[in-house]
Amino acid sequence: MSGPASDPAAAIAARLAQLWRTSRPIILERLAVLKTAQAALVANAGDVAARSEAREAAHKLSGVLGIFGLPQGSEMAHNLEELLKSADPLSASDLISMAGEIESLEAMIAARGDG
Amino acid sequence: MPRRILIIDDEDDIREVAALSLETVAGWDVMMAPSGAAGIVKAQEHRPDAILLDVMMPMMDGPTTFRELRALPETANIPVILLTAKVQAADQKRFSDLGVSAVMFKPFDPLTLAGDIARALGWTEQ
Repeated sequence: MSGPASDPAAAIAARLAQLWRTSRPIILERLAVLKTAQAALVANAGDVAARSEAREAAHKLSGVLGIFGLPQGSEMAHNLEELLKSADPLSASDLISMAGEIESLEAMIAARGDG
Repeated sequence: MPRRILIIDDEDDIREVAALSLETVAGWDVMMAPSGAAGIVKAQEHRPDAILLDVMMPMMDGPTTFRELRALPETANIPVILLTAKVQAADQKRFSDLGVSAVMFKPFDPLTLAGDIARALGWTEQ
């Protein structure tokens, strides 16, 4: 590296657009983990493995979505993580709310598009 | 001489964006490692000026990696900043109590990350 770029904002924006294209499939995989786990938790609210997988996926999404211009997605993923982290068993209303958050995240990522 | 930073994170996209940010905005030299174990080896070999260390990683998490780094004479004094997705205050305190230089949060702003690190470490050239 020979020093800071002359226009860091433009350089970063251009590279972020490229990185989004490679990161998007991974982000969608994490969303799929959340959906599968939510379905597993509907079938068995005490499924510890599903809850743990979902929590990890939510944590990762929380950390990355805002970097790609989706701060509200990070916040929603964080809320999901907190819900899944709680020691309390998930209620039917928690699971309905979880499904809604996942759907919103999916829409947000789709709206972000490929570029 | 530009600062030399080691980023240890299992997520490719986070490593890439953090590296891009530190190189582009501050002109720092960045090394990367995808796991705690690989990061320890790199830190021993290259003795960076600071380490940006993810908390949640498989096999060896950030706090464990930090303790290993502190136990090795070559890396014991390298400042370490823990990087984590937003956590509750209790977790933040638990991380700070480990003795790291700072705890910083994802998502970070790529345009301000270098400045945030410099301020956290008291580097005045930023």
